[in-house]
Amino acid sequence: MIERYQFLLREFHQETSKELQIFSIIAQSFFQPFSLIDNLLVILTALTAGPGVGFNRAMLFLAAGDKLKGEFWLGPGSADEAASIWRVLSTPGIGYLEIIAHNKSFLSSEADTLTKRIKSISYPLGEASPMIPALAAVSREIILVKDAWHEPLVDRRFQETLGADEFVCIPLLAEQEVLGEIILDNAITKLPIKNRDIELASICGLIAGNYIYTSRLQRRLVDMKRAAAIGEMAMFVTHQLRNPIVTVGGFADQLLDPKIPEAKKKRNIQIIRNEIREMERILLRLGQFLRVQVKEQVAVDVRELFKLVTEAVSSKVADKAVLVKTEVEDGLATISCDPLHVGESLRNLVDNALDALGPAGQIRLSARRDSEDWAVISVQDDGPGIPSLVKGKIFEAFVSTKEQGMGLGLPYVKRVVDACGGRIEVESEEGKGTTFRLYFKAKPREREIPR
Amino acid sequence: MRKKILLVEDEKNLCLLYKEELKEAGYSVTAVLDAESALERIKKESFDLIITDIRMPGKNGIDLITQIMALRKDVPIIINTAYQSYKHDFMTWAADAYVVKSSSMSELKAKIKELIG
Repeated sequence: MIERYQFLLREFHQETSKELQIFSIIAQSFFQPFSLIDNLLVILTALTAGPGVGFNRAMLFLAAGDKLKGEFWLGPGSADEAASIWRVLSTPGIGYLEIIAHNKSFLSSEADTLTKRIKSISYPLGEASPMIPALAAVSREIILVKDAWHEPLVDRRFQETLGADEFVCIPLLAEQEVLGEIILDNAITKLPIKNRDIELASICGLIAGNYIYTSRLQRRLVDMKRAAAIGEMAMFVTHQLRNPIVTVGGFADQLLDPKIPEAKKKRNIQIIRNEIREMERILLRLGQFLRVQVKEQVAVDVRELFKLVTEAVSSKVADKAVLVKTEVEDGLATISCDPLHVGESLRNLVDNALDALGPAGQIRLSARRDSEDWAVISVQDDGPGIPSLVKGKIFEAFVSTKEQGMGLGLPYVKRVVDACGGRIEVESEEGKGTTFRLYFKAKPREREIPR
Repeated sequence: MRKKILLVEDEKNLCLLYKEELKEAGYSVTAVLDAESALERIKKESFDLIITDIRMPGKNGIDLITQIMALRKDVPIIINTAYQSYKHDFMTWAADAYVVKSSSMSELKAKIKELIG
């Protein structure tokens, strides 16, 4: 026997401790597509989620370059405010979504005067003898401050802003880097900070540090990928345009020679005009590729889609001894996609197959149901297959085996299928042929929507 | 006697331009559109200089250079490409010069003169 449980718990067992609930809410927030600040807010709110456990107020500093800067400060400004906030947050079944919603409205409301006060506070991280709160981050230790007004290590400006007599500083660390600091106090209830509270806070500090670190790495990765893609594109455009530009320039130079014969002059002008057309074609195709935007998805009859595709390639097919067969399984009625772009994609695949086949061969365009909700469209040819050298790269832009190819066909197809919520697979063996499989959400025949 | 140059360039118009310009400069030019045909010609006859593009359909210019070296042909090679970045490719060091394509062919002509006069 097996039992299944959900990761995203909304209600907890009575015996589940409040601390465990807090960690569960924090962990769940990492499954949501929230921003870095949103998820840090969840952690801070969890730490200040009620009068019974944790703290009253939480302050977040984040490291930016060599400075520790105040980001936000969460918590009630008065005892009345505290009561109303805690009432909301202690509602049974409250989850990360409610916490996020609550925090967002709280931070944008006028009540959020605390954050405004700490936004202007920052400390250099490289200082030789730092004051509290920076000391905790620099020394990488948790520091509990009691009798803060009389502690000489506490920065006076900070103390006047905070106003609490007792507080704890939790550094946010990852590997060898200082990423920030959380400062927690009980300014409203005036309860002393217990060891148990510090333990809870230290674990939240570890989670937050790790989370900041991961999201920084992620952002760096996205930036690097983007830079690499831009670099690749720039290199590609350079090459594609340099050849025609050099040709135009060279033949134009010849035209400047006063002794140039009339026939050569005419020929040069003709070449220049053709090369300029070529450059226009390059820019047009590049623009088309960059502008792909899939519109609203609708239920599309696969038979009609196939009809349009075979019509579009008919003249190219007529030039060769190629047989194009289409097959649609009876049970399949419609697939969910953007018909314009998916039609163009299928045309691209059939076009590629025609190029690969040479003078003769067979192309099979078929559609069948793959499972209850999914359909698969296959484009199969018995051509020479994709050379193993480029096989792993066929969906990358600017990879082509064709002399005139720009390498935008298959990346375009992939972009379209992805944008329709589907996926694409390829199976190819040298000498045996190639099959592309496009998966889309589908509807069976009996539930067909009248067109 | 005119010095013999083998030109490997897949762009037909560019090929025509180079051919005309180099003939004008006093060389005898044989032009081929891909690396395979270049190898066939090299095996059959001797050249004073080879000018090759890198990105071409089929075998690329770097493969071509490797194979020319394997044939132990002692012939100067100029790489003529639209890309700056191949300079970082170790095998391009085997060539005697690396010229980025330009409509003013003065740099290419200067390198040719330097290598074979």
